[in-house]
Amino acid sequence: MGVEGKSYPAVSAVIDPERVADFARAIGADPEDGVPPTFAAVYSLGATAPYLFGDPEAAVDFAKLLHADQEFEWERHPELGETVTSQGRVVSDIRRRGMRFVTFEAQTTGVDGSGICRSRTLFVIRS
Amino acid sequence: MKRAERAVTFTVEQIADYAEASGDHNPIHLDGDFARSVGLPGIIAHGMLQMGVLATVAAEAAGGGRRLRRLYCRFAGMVEPGDTVTFAADVTEPGEPVLTKASAEYL
Repeated sequence: MGVEGKSYPAVSAVIDPERVADFARAIGADPEDGVPPTFAAVYSLGATAPYLFGDPEAAVDFAKLLHADQEFEWERHPELGETVTSQGRVVSDIRRRGMRFVTFEAQTTGVDGSGICRSRTLFVIRS
Repeated sequence: MKRAERAVTFTVEQIADYAEASGDHNPIHLDGDFARSVGLPGIIAHGMLQMGVLATVAAEAAGGGRRLRRLYCRFAGMVEPGDTVTFAADVTEPGEPVLTKASAEYL
């Protein structure tokens, strides 16, 4: 039901060293250690989720949205300056006991199509 | 077995810095009045900020972030400014390039 199975446009982004350093500092990591694993929240989830949030058909009430769980699976971690492409899709969209559960997956690849990261998010939208 | 642990007391400033750095500007993380208007106790920390700290601790235990192959986390409770969260990671199979166990405790 809902927007289950819907895919959103692929989006490309450069792993910006300055942004990576700011992100590392914000999570208490050493910026010298390179791209923090959960920078995937930016290049994978963060790059794709706005399409879901902005989709009138999906009708996600952003104010009632909670991030319930998150999984990242990496084939490799991106390099500073690398261009990556991510595409999001809705794996499932379920209503139960007045709540809505949306599982959103993003696949991130390098310019050669090689796999980098799969992000899987459970969003709960409270009623 | 290699273990890493870190206790973090989240602050309004750190949450705002994470919003800026991550691009997640959802007002539930930035505006207490807004957060209360949607039924939350006040500003809450991003789940992804906590997961970021968890990954950092996990990376420390595993010998570097590039060794992480999978990371999963359920955001079981709200974390408000002033809350202290203890993050711990144990690498239980040092021969495997995988983080096998991680947990977040809420005080």
